[in-house]
Amino acid sequence: MIAQADSEPKDGRRRKRATIFPICVLALYGAVYFIAPEKIGLALSVDVKILLSLCLPLAFVFAVLFLVNVLVRPSQVARFLGKHSGVKGMLLALVAGIISAGPIFAWYPLLKRLKDAGAGDGPIAIFLYNRAVKPFLLPVMIGFYGWPYVLVLTFLMILGSIVVGFSMEVAGRRL
Amino acid sequence: MKVAISSEGPDLESAISRRFGVSAYLLIVDLESETLEAVQNPGSVARHSAGIQAVVQLLSRDVQVLLTGYCSPVARQHLEANGVQVRAGLSGIGRDILQRYKTAEMESGEEERSEPESFRRVLGRDNLYNAARQSWNQFLSMLPVLSGVVLLVGLFNSLVSKQFVASVFSGHAVFDTFWGACAGSVFTGNPINSYVIGGELSKQGVSLFAVTAFLLTWVTVGLVQLPAESAALGRRFAILRNIVCFILAFPVALATVFVLAFVTGMDP
Repeated sequence: MIAQADSEPKDGRRRKRATIFPICVLALYGAVYFIAPEKIGLALSVDVKILLSLCLPLAFVFAVLFLVNVLVRPSQVARFLGKHSGVKGMLLALVAGIISAGPIFAWYPLLKRLKDAGAGDGPIAIFLYNRAVKPFLLPVMIGFYGWPYVLVLTFLMILGSIVVGFSMEVAGRRL
Repeated sequence: MKVAISSEGPDLESAISRRFGVSAYLLIVDLESETLEAVQNPGSVARHSAGIQAVVQLLSRDVQVLLTGYCSPVARQHLEANGVQVRAGLSGIGRDILQRYKTAEMESGEEERSEPESFRRVLGRDNLYNAARQSWNQFLSMLPVLSGVVLLVGLFNSLVSKQFVASVFSGHAVFDTFWGACAGSVFTGNPINSYVIGGELSKQGVSLFAVTAFLLTWVTVGLVQLPAESAALGRRFAILRNIVCFILAFPVALATVFVLAFVTGMDP
Protein backbone atom coordinates (compact mmCIF):
# COMPACT_ATOMS: atom_id res chain seq x y z
CA MET A 1 0.00 0.00 0.00
CA ILE A 2 2.84 2.36 0.82
CA ALA A 3 4.62 1.73 -2.41
CA GLN A 4 1.39 1.97 -4.33
CA ALA A 5 0.50 5.25 -2.65
CA ASP A 6 3.85 6.70 -3.72
CA SER A 7 3.25 5.71 -7.32
CA GLU A 8 -0.46 6.55 -7.54
CA PRO A 9 -0.05 9.41 -10.05
CA LYS A 10 2.03 7.12 -12.27
CA ASP A 11 -0.50 4.27 -12.28
CA GLY A 12 -2.70 5.82 -14.97
CA ARG A 13 0.26 6.39 -17.29
CA ARG A 14 1.54 2.87 -16.62
CA ARG A 15 -1.85 1.37 -17.52
CA LYS A 16 -1.95 3.40 -20.74
CA ARG A 17 1.58 2.24 -21.58
CA ALA A 18 0.52 -1.37 -20.96
CA THR A 19 -2.05 -1.12 -23.76
CA ILE A 20 0.60 -0.03 -26.28
CA PHE A 21 1.99 -3.57 -26.54
CA PRO A 22 -1.29 -5.36 -27.48
CA ILE A 23 -2.12 -2.52 -29.89
CA CYS A 24 1.27 -2.99 -31.60
CA VAL A 25 0.62 -6.76 -31.85
CA LEU A 26 -2.80 -6.08 -33.40
CA ALA A 27 -1.09 -3.76 -35.90
CA LEU A 28 1.28 -6.65 -36.68
CA TYR A 29 -1.77 -8.86 -37.32
CA GLY A 30 -3.03 -6.17 -39.73
CA ALA A 31 0.31 -6.14 -41.58
CA VAL A 32 0.44 -9.95 -41.79
CA TYR A 33 -3.15 -10.01 -43.06
CA PHE A 34 -2.08 -8.03 -46.14
CA ILE A 35 1.04 -10.15 -46.76
CA ALA A 36 -0.19 -13.66 -45.89
CA PRO A 37 -3.91 -13.65 -44.98
CA GLU A 38 -4.02 -17.45 -44.59
CA LYS A 39 -1.67 -17.21 -41.58
CA ILE A 40 -4.13 -15.08 -39.60
CA GLY A 41 -6.72 -17.86 -39.32
CA LEU A 42 -4.07 -20.25 -38.01
CA ALA A 43 -2.79 -17.62 -35.53
CA LEU A 44 -6.31 -16.91 -34.24
CA SER A 45 -7.04 -20.60 -33.73
CA VAL A 46 -3.88 -20.87 -31.59
CA ASP A 47 -4.96 -17.72 -29.68
CA VAL A 48 -8.38 -19.25 -28.91
CA LYS A 49 -6.79 -22.51 -27.71
CA ILE A 50 -4.43 -20.63 -25.37
CA LEU A 51 -7.23 -18.42 -24.05
CA LEU A 52 -9.45 -21.43 -23.34
CA SER A 53 -6.61 -23.15 -21.49
CA LEU A 54 -6.12 -19.98 -19.42
CA CYS A 55 -9.76 -19.45 -18.32
CA LEU A 56 -9.90 -21.81 -15.36
CA PRO A 57 -6.38 -21.08 -14.03
CA LEU A 58 -7.11 -17.32 -14.25
CA ALA A 59 -10.22 -17.78 -12.11
CA PHE A 60 -8.03 -19.48 -9.49
CA VAL A 61 -5.49 -16.67 -9.86
CA PHE A 62 -8.13 -14.10 -8.93
CA ALA A 63 -9.34 -16.16 -5.96
CA VAL A 64 -5.83 -16.65 -4.52
CA LEU A 65 -4.92 -13.01 -5.23
CA PHE A 66 -7.98 -11.95 -3.24
CA LEU A 67 -7.02 -14.19 -0.30
CA VAL A 68 -3.46 -12.84 -0.30
CA ASN A 69 -4.75 -9.26 -0.35
CA VAL A 70 -7.16 -9.96 2.54
CA LEU A 71 -4.54 -11.59 4.74
CA VAL A 72 -1.26 -9.88 3.82
CA ARG A 73 -0.46 -6.22 3.94
CA PRO A 74 2.61 -4.60 2.32
CA SER A 75 3.57 -3.10 5.68
CA GLN A 76 3.86 -6.58 7.17
CA VAL A 77 6.13 -7.51 4.28
CA ALA A 78 8.16 -4.38 4.98
CA ARG A 79 8.48 -5.36 8.63
CA PHE A 80 9.81 -8.75 7.60
CA LEU A 81 12.55 -7.11 5.57
CA GLY A 82 13.48 -4.27 7.86
CA LYS A 83 13.27 -5.79 11.29
CA HIS A 84 15.42 -8.89 11.27
CA SER A 85 18.96 -9.64 10.18
CA GLY A 86 21.11 -12.71 9.58
CA VAL A 87 19.62 -16.08 8.64
CA LYS A 88 16.25 -15.21 10.19
CA GLY A 89 16.07 -11.99 8.17
CA MET A 90 16.85 -13.90 4.98
CA LEU A 91 14.18 -16.53 5.66
CA LEU A 92 11.62 -13.84 6.38
CA ALA A 93 12.64 -12.00 3.18
CA LEU A 94 12.07 -15.27 1.33
CA VAL A 95 8.50 -15.51 2.63
CA ALA A 96 7.94 -11.80 2.02
CA GLY A 97 9.06 -12.13 -1.63
CA ILE A 98 6.71 -15.05 -2.21
CA ILE A 99 3.63 -13.36 -0.75
CA SER A 100 4.31 -9.92 -2.23
CA ALA A 101 2.10 -8.83 -5.11
CA GLY A 102 1.93 -6.00 -7.66
CA PRO A 103 4.46 -4.68 -10.18
CA ILE A 104 8.11 -4.55 -9.12
CA PHE A 105 8.27 -0.80 -9.87
CA ALA A 106 5.80 -0.20 -7.04
CA TRP A 107 8.16 -1.94 -4.62
CA TYR A 108 11.36 -0.05 -5.47
CA PRO A 109 10.61 3.07 -3.37
CA LEU A 110 9.85 0.97 -0.29
CA LEU A 111 12.92 -1.24 -0.79
CA LYS A 112 15.05 1.88 -1.18
CA ARG A 113 13.82 3.23 2.14
CA LEU A 114 14.42 -0.09 3.83
CA LYS A 115 17.95 -0.17 2.40
CA ASP A 116 18.53 3.40 3.61
CA ALA A 117 17.22 2.32 7.01
CA GLY A 118 19.85 -0.44 7.18
CA ALA A 119 18.29 -3.55 5.56
CA GLY A 120 21.07 -5.73 4.10
CA ASP A 121 21.72 -6.55 0.42
CA GLY A 122 21.04 -10.24 1.09
CA PRO A 123 17.43 -10.00 2.25
CA ILE A 124 16.56 -7.50 -0.50
CA ALA A 125 18.10 -9.77 -3.18
CA ILE A 126 16.22 -12.76 -1.74
CA PHE A 127 12.99 -10.75 -1.74
CA LEU A 128 13.46 -9.79 -5.41
CA TYR A 129 14.35 -13.35 -6.47
CA ASN A 130 11.35 -14.88 -4.74
CA ARG A 131 8.98 -12.57 -6.57
CA ALA A 132 9.35 -15.23 -9.28
CA VAL A 133 7.59 -17.70 -6.96
CA LYS A 134 3.97 -16.56 -7.05
CA PRO A 135 1.46 -18.81 -5.28
CA PHE A 136 -1.48 -17.12 -7.00
CA LEU A 137 -0.01 -17.88 -10.43
CA LEU A 138 0.68 -21.55 -9.68
CA PRO A 139 -2.64 -22.72 -11.25
CA VAL A 140 -1.52 -21.23 -14.59
CA MET A 141 1.96 -22.71 -14.29
CA ILE A 142 0.58 -26.15 -13.41
CA GLY A 143 -1.79 -25.91 -16.38
CA PHE A 144 1.15 -25.46 -18.75
CA TYR A 145 3.86 -27.61 -17.17
CA GLY A 146 2.23 -30.06 -14.75
CA TRP A 147 2.62 -30.63 -10.99
CA PRO A 148 6.00 -32.40 -10.88
CA TYR A 149 7.80 -29.72 -12.89
CA VAL A 150 6.27 -26.86 -10.87
CA LEU A 151 7.16 -28.51 -7.55
CA VAL A 152 10.77 -29.19 -8.55
CA LEU A 153 11.30 -25.74 -10.08
CA THR A 154 9.70 -23.91 -7.14
CA PHE A 155 11.79 -25.82 -4.62
CA LEU A 156 15.03 -25.18 -6.53
CA MET A 157 14.16 -21.51 -7.03
CA ILE A 158 13.70 -21.07 -3.29
CA LEU A 159 17.07 -22.74 -2.70
CA GLY A 160 18.56 -20.57 -5.46
CA SER A 161 17.25 -17.42 -3.81
CA ILE A 162 19.20 -18.24 -0.66
CA VAL A 163 22.36 -18.65 -2.76
CA VAL A 164 21.71 -15.23 -4.32
CA GLY A 165 21.13 -13.71 -0.88
CA PHE A 166 24.35 -15.06 0.60
CA SER A 167 26.32 -14.10 -2.53
CA MET A 168 25.03 -10.53 -2.35
CA GLU A 169 25.71 -10.34 1.38
CA VAL A 170 29.31 -11.58 0.95
CA ALA A 171 29.91 -9.35 -2.08
CA GLY A 172 28.43 -6.41 -0.18
CA ARG A 173 30.95 -6.88 2.63
CA ARG A 174 33.95 -7.32 0.32
CA LEU A 175 33.30 -4.62 -2.29
CA MET B 1 3.91 -3.08 22.62
CA LYS B 2 5.71 -0.15 21.02
CA VAL B 3 4.44 3.42 21.23
CA ALA B 4 5.90 6.23 19.10
CA ILE B 5 5.87 9.89 20.08
CA SER B 6 6.68 12.63 17.58
CA SER B 7 9.12 14.79 19.49
CA GLU B 8 11.11 18.01 19.28
CA GLY B 9 14.09 16.37 21.02
CA PRO B 10 15.76 12.96 21.55
CA ASP B 11 14.35 12.26 25.04
CA LEU B 12 11.06 12.10 26.93
CA GLU B 13 11.68 15.50 28.54
CA SER B 14 11.27 17.15 25.13
CA ALA B 15 8.00 18.61 23.94
CA ILE B 16 5.79 16.62 21.60
CA SER B 17 6.06 17.83 18.04
CA ARG B 18 3.01 19.55 16.62
CA ARG B 19 3.38 17.76 13.25
CA PHE B 20 4.22 14.06 12.95
CA GLY B 21 5.69 14.13 9.40
CA VAL B 22 8.28 16.85 10.04
CA SER B 23 9.02 16.26 13.73
CA ALA B 24 12.74 16.25 14.55
CA TYR B 25 12.63 12.89 16.35
CA LEU B 26 10.45 9.85 16.68
CA LEU B 27 10.70 8.45 20.20
CA ILE B 28 9.88 4.76 20.18
CA VAL B 29 9.06 3.37 23.60
CA ASP B 30 8.75 -0.36 24.20
CA LEU B 31 6.24 -0.60 27.05
CA GLU B 32 7.20 -4.17 27.93
CA SER B 33 10.98 -3.80 28.12
CA GLU B 34 10.67 -0.08 29.06
CA THR B 35 13.36 0.91 26.57
CA LEU B 36 13.52 4.10 24.54
CA GLU B 37 14.85 4.47 21.02
CA ALA B 38 15.23 7.99 19.61
CA VAL B 39 15.15 7.95 15.82
CA GLN B 40 15.96 11.04 13.78
CA ASN B 41 12.98 11.54 11.54
CA PRO B 42 14.11 11.53 7.88
CA GLY B 43 10.92 13.45 7.13
CA SER B 44 12.19 16.48 9.05
CA VAL B 45 14.74 17.26 6.32
CA ALA B 46 12.95 15.70 3.35
CA ARG B 47 11.84 17.85 0.46
CA HIS B 48 8.90 15.62 -0.35
CA SER B 49 6.97 12.67 1.10
CA ALA B 50 7.98 13.64 4.64
CA GLY B 51 4.93 11.96 6.14
CA ILE B 52 5.45 8.73 4.21
CA GLN B 53 9.11 8.53 5.28
CA ALA B 54 8.04 8.87 8.89
CA VAL B 55 5.33 6.21 8.32
CA VAL B 56 7.95 3.80 6.96
CA GLN B 57 10.11 4.38 10.05
CA LEU B 58 7.22 3.41 12.34
CA LEU B 59 6.09 0.40 10.32
CA SER B 60 9.59 -1.00 9.97
CA ARG B 61 9.95 -0.82 13.78
CA ASP B 62 6.65 -2.55 14.48
CA VAL B 63 5.09 0.41 16.28
CA GLN B 64 1.45 -0.08 17.29
CA VAL B 65 0.47 3.37 18.58
CA LEU B 66 1.45 6.90 17.52
CA LEU B 67 1.04 9.84 19.89
CA THR B 68 1.37 13.20 18.14
CA GLY B 69 0.14 16.75 17.81
CA TYR B 70 -1.10 16.46 14.25
CA CYS B 71 -1.03 13.65 11.69
CA SER B 72 -1.90 14.33 8.04
CA PRO B 73 -4.88 12.39 6.60
CA VAL B 74 -2.62 10.52 4.14
CA ALA B 75 -0.15 9.40 6.82
CA ARG B 76 -3.04 8.50 9.13
CA GLN B 77 -4.65 6.43 6.38
CA HIS B 78 -1.43 4.42 5.85
CA LEU B 79 -0.85 3.94 9.56
CA GLU B 80 -4.39 2.87 10.38
CA ALA B 81 -4.58 0.60 7.34
CA ASN B 82 -1.54 -1.15 8.76
CA GLY B 83 -2.89 -1.54 12.26
CA VAL B 84 -1.25 1.48 13.92
CA GLN B 85 -3.54 3.49 16.22
CA VAL B 86 -3.11 7.26 15.84
CA ARG B 87 -3.78 9.52 18.85
CA ALA B 88 -3.50 13.12 17.62
CA GLY B 89 -4.33 16.51 19.16
CA LEU B 90 -1.86 16.00 22.04
CA SER B 91 0.46 18.61 23.55
CA GLY B 92 2.99 18.78 26.37
CA ILE B 93 6.11 16.89 27.44
CA GLY B 94 6.71 13.38 26.11
CA ARG B 95 6.91 11.73 29.55
CA ASP B 96 3.55 13.20 30.66
CA ILE B 97 1.84 12.22 27.43
CA LEU B 98 3.16 8.67 27.71
CA GLN B 99 1.96 8.43 31.31
CA ARG B 100 -1.48 9.73 30.35
CA TYR B 101 -1.64 7.15 27.56
CA LYS B 102 -0.68 4.29 29.91
CA THR B 103 -3.29 5.34 32.46
CA ALA B 104 -6.01 5.64 29.82
CA GLU B 105 -5.08 2.24 28.43
CA MET B 106 -5.31 0.56 31.82
CA GLU B 107 -8.67 2.18 32.49
CA SER B 108 -10.22 1.23 29.20
CA GLY B 109 -8.81 -2.31 29.30
CA GLU B 110 -8.21 -2.07 25.59
CA GLU B 111 -5.54 -4.77 25.58
CA GLU B 112 -8.15 -7.44 26.29
CA ARG B 113 -10.09 -6.45 23.20
CA SER B 114 -7.18 -6.07 20.80
CA GLU B 115 -7.20 -9.65 19.43
CA PRO B 116 -10.90 -9.88 18.47
CA GLU B 117 -10.68 -6.35 17.04
CA SER B 118 -7.73 -7.38 14.88
CA PHE B 119 -9.66 -10.46 13.71
CA ARG B 120 -12.73 -8.37 12.93
CA ARG B 121 -10.60 -5.92 10.98
CA VAL B 122 -9.28 -8.69 8.70
CA LEU B 123 -12.78 -9.98 7.95
CA GLY B 124 -14.43 -6.55 8.11
CA ARG B 125 -16.48 -5.32 5.17
CA ASP B 126 -14.05 -2.47 4.41
CA ASN B 127 -11.04 -4.77 4.34
CA LEU B 128 -12.80 -7.33 2.13
CA TYR B 129 -14.00 -4.58 -0.22
CA ASN B 130 -10.51 -3.05 -0.44
CA ALA B 131 -8.96 -6.48 -1.03
CA ALA B 132 -11.49 -7.26 -3.79
CA ARG B 133 -10.88 -3.89 -5.44
CA GLN B 134 -7.10 -4.27 -5.17
CA SER B 135 -7.26 -7.82 -6.57
CA TRP B 136 -9.46 -6.70 -9.44
CA ASN B 137 -7.04 -3.86 -10.28
CA GLN B 138 -4.04 -6.20 -10.13
CA PHE B 139 -5.91 -8.72 -12.26
CA LEU B 140 -6.92 -6.09 -14.83
CA SER B 141 -3.38 -4.71 -14.96
CA MET B 142 -2.12 -8.14 -16.07
CA LEU B 143 -4.63 -8.50 -18.89
CA PRO B 144 -3.41 -6.01 -21.56
CA VAL B 145 0.11 -7.41 -21.75
CA LEU B 146 -1.12 -11.00 -21.30
CA SER B 147 -3.56 -10.61 -24.21
CA GLY B 148 -0.74 -9.11 -26.31
CA VAL B 149 1.49 -12.07 -25.43
CA VAL B 150 -1.27 -14.57 -26.39
CA LEU B 151 -1.78 -12.78 -29.73
CA LEU B 152 1.97 -12.68 -30.38
CA VAL B 153 2.40 -16.36 -29.54
CA GLY B 154 -0.41 -17.22 -31.99
CA LEU B 155 1.28 -15.20 -34.71
CA PHE B 156 4.66 -16.73 -33.89
CA ASN B 157 3.14 -20.22 -34.18
CA SER B 158 1.67 -19.50 -37.59
CA LEU B 159 4.76 -17.75 -39.03
CA VAL B 160 7.72 -19.64 -37.57
CA SER B 161 8.16 -23.28 -38.40
CA LYS B 162 9.11 -25.96 -35.90
CA GLN B 163 12.18 -26.70 -38.03
CA PHE B 164 13.46 -23.15 -37.55
CA VAL B 165 12.91 -23.29 -33.79
CA ALA B 166 14.67 -26.65 -33.69
CA SER B 167 17.63 -25.16 -35.56
CA VAL B 168 18.06 -22.42 -32.91
CA PHE B 169 17.52 -24.74 -29.93
CA SER B 170 19.59 -27.78 -30.80
CA GLY B 171 18.71 -29.78 -27.69
CA HIS B 172 22.18 -29.26 -26.19
CA ALA B 173 21.63 -28.72 -22.46
CA VAL B 174 24.17 -25.91 -21.92
CA PHE B 175 23.61 -24.00 -25.18
CA ASP B 176 19.82 -24.20 -24.89
CA THR B 177 20.01 -23.00 -21.29
CA PHE B 178 22.21 -20.10 -22.38
CA TRP B 179 19.85 -18.96 -25.14
CA GLY B 180 16.82 -19.40 -22.89
CA ALA B 181 18.50 -17.35 -20.16
CA CYS B 182 19.47 -14.62 -22.65
CA ALA B 183 15.90 -14.34 -23.96
CA GLY B 184 14.44 -14.20 -20.44
CA SER B 185 16.98 -11.56 -19.37
CA VAL B 186 16.10 -9.15 -22.15
CA PHE B 187 12.35 -9.39 -21.66
CA THR B 188 10.70 -8.91 -18.32
CA GLY B 189 7.30 -8.50 -16.72
CA ASN B 190 4.61 -10.51 -14.99
CA PRO B 191 5.62 -14.20 -14.64
CA ILE B 192 2.29 -15.29 -16.17
CA ASN B 193 3.48 -14.01 -19.56
CA SER B 194 6.63 -16.13 -19.37
CA TYR B 195 4.49 -19.21 -18.57
CA VAL B 196 2.45 -18.71 -21.74
CA ILE B 197 5.50 -18.07 -23.95
CA GLY B 198 7.51 -20.90 -22.36
CA GLY B 199 4.58 -23.30 -22.65
CA GLU B 200 4.18 -22.58 -26.35
CA LEU B 201 7.95 -22.80 -26.97
CA SER B 202 7.88 -26.17 -25.27
CA LYS B 203 5.10 -27.31 -27.66
CA GLN B 204 7.28 -26.13 -30.55
CA GLY B 205 9.93 -28.58 -29.43
CA VAL B 206 12.21 -26.23 -27.49
CA SER B 207 14.00 -28.17 -24.77
CA LEU B 208 12.97 -27.88 -21.12
CA PHE B 209 16.48 -26.56 -20.33
CA ALA B 210 15.86 -23.47 -22.44
CA VAL B 211 12.28 -23.00 -21.22
CA THR B 212 13.30 -23.30 -17.56
CA ALA B 213 16.18 -20.82 -17.95
CA PHE B 214 13.75 -18.50 -19.74
CA LEU B 215 11.20 -18.70 -16.90
CA LEU B 216 13.91 -18.12 -14.30
CA THR B 217 15.52 -15.06 -15.86
CA TRP B 218 12.22 -13.51 -16.96
CA VAL B 219 11.57 -12.34 -13.38
CA THR B 220 14.99 -12.49 -11.71
CA VAL B 221 17.05 -10.70 -14.39
CA GLY B 222 15.81 -7.56 -16.09
CA LEU B 223 17.94 -5.53 -18.48
CA VAL B 224 14.93 -3.35 -19.28
CA GLN B 225 14.31 -2.49 -15.63
CA LEU B 226 18.01 -2.17 -14.71
CA PRO B 227 17.94 1.68 -14.72
CA ALA B 228 14.96 1.71 -12.34
CA GLU B 229 16.58 -0.86 -10.04
CA SER B 230 19.90 1.06 -10.12
CA ALA B 231 18.16 4.31 -9.22
CA ALA B 232 16.34 2.71 -6.28
CA LEU B 233 18.90 0.29 -4.86
CA GLY B 234 22.23 1.50 -6.27
CA ARG B 235 24.08 0.64 -9.48
CA ARG B 236 26.50 -1.80 -7.82
CA PHE B 237 23.66 -3.73 -6.18
CA ALA B 238 21.56 -3.83 -9.36
CA ILE B 239 24.37 -4.96 -11.69
CA LEU B 240 25.76 -7.53 -9.25
CA ARG B 241 22.32 -8.97 -8.47
CA ASN B 242 21.45 -9.33 -12.16
CA ILE B 243 24.80 -11.03 -12.92
CA VAL B 244 24.44 -13.45 -9.98
CA CYS B 245 20.84 -14.30 -11.02
CA PHE B 246 21.88 -14.84 -14.65
CA ILE B 247 24.70 -17.21 -13.65
CA LEU B 248 22.45 -19.02 -11.17
CA ALA B 249 19.87 -19.67 -13.90
CA PHE B 250 22.25 -22.30 -15.34
CA PRO B 251 22.58 -24.65 -12.34
CA VAL B 252 18.93 -24.17 -11.36
CA ALA B 253 17.65 -24.90 -14.90
CA LEU B 254 19.95 -27.91 -15.35
CA ALA B 255 19.13 -29.27 -11.88
CA THR B 256 15.38 -28.82 -12.46
CA VAL B 257 15.40 -30.87 -15.66
CA PHE B 258 17.71 -33.58 -14.30
CA VAL B 259 15.76 -33.92 -11.02
CA LEU B 260 12.49 -34.03 -12.98
CA ALA B 261 13.95 -36.69 -15.27
CA PHE B 262 15.06 -38.68 -12.25
CA VAL B 263 11.67 -38.38 -10.52
CA THR B 264 9.41 -39.00 -13.51
CA GLY B 265 11.70 -41.21 -15.58
CA MET B 266 11.48 -38.96 -18.68
CA ASP B 267 14.45 -38.23 -20.98
CA PRO B 268 16.18 -34.97 -20.01
